[in-house]
Amino acid sequence: MDTSRAFFLFLVCFGFGFQTSKAADDRFSEELFIKPLPSGHIYFHFQFTTRWDVDIRSKDEFNQYRLFPKSLGDIVSTYDVQELHLSLTQGIWRHDKWGYPIHDAPPGAELWVWFLPSVSSVKQSWSELVNALSGLFCASLNFMDAKSTVNPNWSFRPHGLQGEGFAKDVKLLRYSALPREVVCTENLTPWKKLLPCDSKVGLASLFNAMKLYDTAYHSLSVHLRPICQDESCSKPSIELTQSLAVVFDSTLKNNGYQNWSLRKLFGRSLRNQCPLADLSNIYVDMTCTQSTDYRCQLMPQPDQILNFTQKDEQFSYGQYSVGKHTKDGNFLSIGIQYNQQPKYGPIKPPPVYAHRYITGYGLENGGITCYLYNKLPQKVKVIYLESLPWFMRVYFNTVKIVSNGVVIKPVAINYVQGKDRVQPYTLEVIVELPPNSVSSLSFEFDRAFLKWTEYPPDANHGFYINSAVLSVSLPVATNYTTPGQASSVLIDSFVEETGQKQFIVRIHTESLLLSLPTPDFSMPYNVICLACTVMAIAFGSIHNLTTRRLVARDPDLKTGIIHKIKTYLLKLHPKRGLKRE
Amino acid sequence: MAIIVHICFVVGLGLRFWLFKTSFPGWLASRVEISTPLTSWKRVMEGIYLTREHVSPYSGDLFHETPLMLKWLDLVLKVFKQYDYLIFLAADTLIGILLLKIANLFSKYMLLKQAADSPNYSPEASSLLLRKESLRKLEIFVVAAHMLNPYSIAVCLARSTGIFHNLLVLLAFFFTMKAQTILSTLCLAFATYESFYPLVLCVPAALFFHQYSVLNKKSVKEESSSLVYFLTTLGLFSFWFLMLLAVSYHLDESAQFVSSIYGFILTVPDLSPNIGIFWYFFTEMFEHFRIFFLFVFQINALIYTVPLAVRLREQPIFLMYILTFLTGVFKSYPSYSDVSIILALLPLWKHLFAYLRNSFIVTCMFICCTVFSPLLWHLWLYAGSANANFYFAITLVFTTAEIFLVTDLLYANLRWEYDLTYGLNRKLEDGKEGQVVLE
Repeated sequence: MDTSRAFFLFLVCFGFGFQTSKAADDRFSEELFIKPLPSGHIYFHFQFTTRWDVDIRSKDEFNQYRLFPKSLGDIVSTYDVQELHLSLTQGIWRHDKWGYPIHDAPPGAELWVWFLPSVSSVKQSWSELVNALSGLFCASLNFMDAKSTVNPNWSFRPHGLQGEGFAKDVKLLRYSALPREVVCTENLTPWKKLLPCDSKVGLASLFNAMKLYDTAYHSLSVHLRPICQDESCSKPSIELTQSLAVVFDSTLKNNGYQNWSLRKLFGRSLRNQCPLADLSNIYVDMTCTQSTDYRCQLMPQPDQILNFTQKDEQFSYGQYSVGKHTKDGNFLSIGIQYNQQPKYGPIKPPPVYAHRYITGYGLENGGITCYLYNKLPQKVKVIYLESLPWFMRVYFNTVKIVSNGVVIKPVAINYVQGKDRVQPYTLEVIVELPPNSVSSLSFEFDRAFLKWTEYPPDANHGFYINSAVLSVSLPVATNYTTPGQASSVLIDSFVEETGQKQFIVRIHTESLLLSLPTPDFSMPYNVICLACTVMAIAFGSIHNLTTRRLVARDPDLKTGIIHKIKTYLLKLHPKRGLKRE
Repeated sequence: MAIIVHICFVVGLGLRFWLFKTSFPGWLASRVEISTPLTSWKRVMEGIYLTREHVSPYSGDLFHETPLMLKWLDLVLKVFKQYDYLIFLAADTLIGILLLKIANLFSKYMLLKQAADSPNYSPEASSLLLRKESLRKLEIFVVAAHMLNPYSIAVCLARSTGIFHNLLVLLAFFFTMKAQTILSTLCLAFATYESFYPLVLCVPAALFFHQYSVLNKKSVKEESSSLVYFLTTLGLFSFWFLMLLAVSYHLDESAQFVSSIYGFILTVPDLSPNIGIFWYFFTEMFEHFRIFFLFVFQINALIYTVPLAVRLREQPIFLMYILTFLTGVFKSYPSYSDVSIILALLPLWKHLFAYLRNSFIVTCMFICCTVFSPLLWHLWLYAGSANANFYFAITLVFTTAEIFLVTDLLYANLRWEYDLTYGLNRKLEDGKEGQVVLE
């Protein structure tokens, strides 16, 4: 009796001890960043960060899950993933009008992964990983096969920890994008399920699919990376950032005013914070409150106003703590009222942005031209990455960068040729853009003729071509809002910054729609018959000419089949034949 | 005589030189009938650029020239720079000179053969016998058929590397007729190395060497069988071919070029339209039959060698021409450069023209197709008012025209032989006028 009670007690104690020790090693925070854009749109960025103090390199630690989603943890540990960045986006982010988003994403799906050096085969792990993720997020990520996956050299560096046991060699990186991917509720639902509170409570309760997908831009993303556990960085931990960015055009339903509130836009107000979250904050950009003629008013007043300067750029954010506002069962619906309609004028564009086009006409060949804008009074070095499908036969000798009529020599080029039905083309260029300039990067391509089974349904719609990726390290913070490499949560990056800090920006250009020449899909039998007939003409004639000999013969002599049958029949009835004669 | 030949050369080259100064070559180079993936100058430039940038041109699927050709063109372009058209003018002149020599050799050969065979001829066929004076005119026709031929001019202007393939095939013709076994097999190996299909020309070459020895009574004492000649020719050919591959391997330091050239020719992965029958057939082919039909179509291009070699064993040069013709029609990426060599050599068989039955129809088909193919291409890919079937139809007609011509030539040859043997008088035993038919 005694022993059993002791054992029970031991179990309870052990269980408690385990619980408390586990509780300390993962944390969750939810944040919402709101910024009214000069074009009249409003940008909402939800960010959910889960930190878990385990070492991504040791698979045995992935056994006890609390806040970290098990489904994702299993995938990460099975396929030796070090860093994973996935985005699913509907619509295009307009850099020249909206500035830079917190996490930039191309239309469609994008995935880039760094594998741990311990991985046995990157190729196999990648193909299994994309299939697993495809199931997890209900997206067609399984189409990210060798035909659409590239291995860029410079564009994607690891965001998280580097060092002993972490990937250094660029061979461990894979990048792929599916510009045709359509993003909808079916992707949102599995993404929401990775959150500790799902979408029942907290900031995620604002996710109303009816409203979210009726917007100008919508992007889901998952970023996973190893980070330092503490200041001393003696132990690593994992940071999972799930973010949802959405851009509303509130002027449409507001008689031209930019007025908005959470209730109006999302159809509901906030009732509580996620009880598992350590931090549940909302930040609103308050630049408009300082404007003289186009003044706005925040409702309700923020708990705190964060004013700070980064490289001569003034920032002012109002901060709300969701828990404090909803403590007594109150609703929180933040909103802004403007005193007049927005005045649309030329918008100050961000320091560096790009536009890309397909040039030429007809379905035989064509070109791609990308205009790279540098609005800064100094030189800027950018890394430009194109990953093009094999059926765009790129001519590398036509790659040309011109700025103001002067040909610029790129600093470095990494070019990998495509191979039919096997491998895409990769073009990675490092180029220094002159100050205050528009440079054009252009090249030519031939359109390949595909087999009739290789065309997608509605072949004449065309093929989507991946966005180009532009990576740049900016010396100014204009239009810049991104948590730094060292910080996990947004609020950590809202601080004074005066040193020689560089602001790393990665932007994506437009994806393109390429028409390819099509065959007639209804004709396979006809074509097979006609081509074989022509071959048969040759074969038959040559067969005749080589196996028969020429003879002189009486032209009246009949030898046809009908004649043979006639003579045969006449033989059967000799009398008739006689009579007739 | 010689003056007319000179005029042909001057006018032909002058025309080419003048046209190179216009914008016409740019348009011609983009024509799929002239520039196939194997011969396109645009792709050569890309290959040379990639080599200079230290990227292997065979790592991708754009460049399909051989390593030796790449090396050679790279060197030549370094010398000529923007005057690259001079290479093509020189190559075309060389082709003209070779054709002239071939025509002369051919006349001598035909007279020699006629003298040897004359005991078998019917006395009534004396009007059919080839005469020295008429044979001497051949050189004019052959040179004119090359220098003033719109197909040859187009190929030269489009800077198609098919011109070099033609040069090699003609060199093979020339050295074969000179009975220089070593050089002939070298040229055959080189031509095969460049475009694979000249492989079949080994058979007529061997037959010719045998016949030549018989005609020149070199080996009266020991009448060696043709097998010896086949073995020597094939042996030498294989030796040269392997040497060329070895040199290429050494140059490229990898064997990637083998799949990039011969794999590309045999498996037809690029389905860009051309004047042949492969492209649309394999675009529309059902996936599970693809391999089977690839075999059928490639065998079709080569199989005629066997029956024709048996039938035409006494006429190896004619066999060589017919095989060049047939592979030019049935190869996987045919172009006008194959048509140009066929038409340039055609006047050698001027004595058969009287027996051709379809020459008018074939001429009309050639002209119509040549005019219509760029029009239908424009309607399909630029105007969008036609579809692929239109262009397919025109390439099908073109192939049919070529087949009509080649089978007609074969028939004419048989008739000519028949008339030589049996005479022009076709009275049957019962006194009726007989009709010559295949039986």
